[in-house]
Amino acid sequence: MDYLVVFLVLVVFLQTRITDLRRAVICMASQSLIIACACFWLGLSYSSGFHAFVPGLLTLAVKVIFIPGAVLHLVGKLTNEREILSESNVNYSTMAAALFLVLGYALVERLLPGSAGRDIVAASILMIMTGLSMMVLRKRAIIQIVGLITLENGIYLLGLLLTQGLPLVVELGVFLDVLIAVVVLVILTSRMRLSFMTTDTSVMKKLKG
Amino acid sequence: MNLSISDLIYIILALPVIFSLISATNLLPKDGLHWLNRITATVVFVVLVQLVLNFDVNSPYRDEYLYLDALSVWMLLIIGTLYLAFAWTSKAYLDRDTNKRYGYLRRFGRLEGRFYALSHMFVWIMLGVVVVNNLGLMWVAIEATTLVSALLVAFKFTRTSLEAAWKYVMVCTVGICLALLGTILVYYIQLTCVGNTNPLDWLYLAQHVDNIDTGMAKLAFCFLFVGYGTKIGLAPMHAWLPDAHSEAPALTSGLLSGALCICAIYALIRNMIILLPAIGVDFVSGLCLFFGLFTVAMAVPFVLVQRDVKRMLAYSSMENFGLMMAALGFFVPMAAQAMLLHMFNHALVKYSLFYTAGTIMEEFGTKNMMRIHGMMSQTPRTALFWLLGIVGILGMPPFGIFFSKFFIVFGFFQSEHPWLGILMLVLLAGMLIGILYHVMRMFGGQSKRKHAIELFGVVDSLTLAGLLLFSCVASAGLGQIDVLNTLLQHAAQIVLGGVY
Repeated sequence: MDYLVVFLVLVVFLQTRITDLRRAVICMASQSLIIACACFWLGLSYSSGFHAFVPGLLTLAVKVIFIPGAVLHLVGKLTNEREILSESNVNYSTMAAALFLVLGYALVERLLPGSAGRDIVAASILMIMTGLSMMVLRKRAIIQIVGLITLENGIYLLGLLLTQGLPLVVELGVFLDVLIAVVVLVILTSRMRLSFMTTDTSVMKKLKG
Repeated sequence: MNLSISDLIYIILALPVIFSLISATNLLPKDGLHWLNRITATVVFVVLVQLVLNFDVNSPYRDEYLYLDALSVWMLLIIGTLYLAFAWTSKAYLDRDTNKRYGYLRRFGRLEGRFYALSHMFVWIMLGVVVVNNLGLMWVAIEATTLVSALLVAFKFTRTSLEAAWKYVMVCTVGICLALLGTILVYYIQLTCVGNTNPLDWLYLAQHVDNIDTGMAKLAFCFLFVGYGTKIGLAPMHAWLPDAHSEAPALTSGLLSGALCICAIYALIRNMIILLPAIGVDFVSGLCLFFGLFTVAMAVPFVLVQRDVKRMLAYSSMENFGLMMAALGFFVPMAAQAMLLHMFNHALVKYSLFYTAGTIMEEFGTKNMMRIHGMMSQTPRTALFWLLGIVGILGMPPFGIFFSKFFIVFGFFQSEHPWLGILMLVLLAGMLIGILYHVMRMFGGQSKRKHAIELFGVVDSLTLAGLLLFSCVASAGLGQIDVLNTLLQHAAQIVLGGVY
């Protein structure tokens, strides 16, 4: 499990530095793959039988295969698109991620001192905060979708650790929602490409006041 | 025919989804689709009335996935009434939008099927929100409403509607993800207190969970408040609300404002009831009062300088949600009743206002209120409904909102917040001045543009008149209508933390 957390933190840090859309999506998929591994690991250690495999399999099917597939299909249609960021900006967001990690550990020490899953909670807080900052600060629609999935993964990981997974029906519903959310966002992004000729969300600033 | 409560509720839940599947296939001719839509909604409404009449408030209905008590039935009544109004006004609206000469959607064929499928699905999910027994499933349903209604907001796929829909999905999904975190924390609280029998079942939680850790409960409630508060449109998180309400098709705006946001309030109330013993009334009351007043205060200046007719209505919705949240914060039986009644009145009046605003936009070819003049002489019927709706929403005496607003403001004084009450009255007066100023300008004068055509038909006029009358009769005569009165009283008791 420790190795998984290390890989997870590594992937999230990498995510703050990537500007190429295709690589960002692949990075998101590998992050979800790590979450799926964590699901299997936790599932097998807490319960047995069918329920142990369901969250992991669902994560694998929805977040590792379907969502990145759909987003990559969309990225394939976009030409010459990458996140426009200068070198210093990227460094700042990596710095911010490092701060979030420190913040995560500080929070864990305050809230749940001496708990077993200290590293996992810190990693999930890192993912939540990084996902939020990606959604707010980055301009490209695809990167914002990646940020949303990162946020969702972070919350999911936290839930997995705290409660060993939600009840099965709720779990299924949450996955269904994530699935629909990505489908809706992909539809909106492709319409955006048609009407604005770009997926840069900063061109959309007509509605004010 | 004698149907039990479970039969009735399953009929209500089955019909919209069947219709939306039929209309998604796009096989029916246009007229058939319109009629089937009306029949579906009417049958659902009739069954709902039957349910309200048969429902015994002292014995809630429950089974594996559903739970129905007075509060859920009251919410069902609001959503069902709007559903009926939607079905009877949709034909007129769609005919205008797909009109060969001027309709915006004329370039696309066969959009009715898709619009109906999405709208009925939207209503169906909202019905689901208020009848499920599980807090997790409630979260799932609220998130699903965001996604379905985002496609409705972006239905015209114009640049502005895309922008609104993008903002809507992004802001609301982040908010709702925080609510998921709150729900997970509630589940964690349940695991630490009573173990994992009946996971997240509302009734079980409300009856069995005690000795909650206060710090954890506060943390969970804060996440839930921010999360569902985003969806309600409370002030710092309201960025999506005016955009989505103003860019969506008029019918969708009405449903968004009338039904969706109060579904979020409902979900918040359900979670609040469980956590209330641990966090104490003061904490909840402070949060609700502060954010409620702040929302109203934020809405007033934007109404005063507004140009866009539907945005003005959206800010007026924000004002009303702020008022409801403040009323929730009093924990006085009368204020809780007034809040529930206000949900009902606001939904009915705001739906008719949004529909009228959509009609005005078609008639005058603009949504800029500064360029609309002479409604009285050119489009008298629209002007009549516009005036009635506006007078209704501002809370003037003969209309239903007068009663609910009056009792909410009275609640301020009854619960010993007199200065906040005076502040609220000042803000409400600002709202009244702002809206009346804009609306009166639209009535008088002469249009400088070409003559506008009256587009209000018979069916939609009757529907809107029915809505306004229903809100009026239900609130003024509440003491005389026993069914509604007991339902409302029991629902208010549930809001205040009693389990039926």
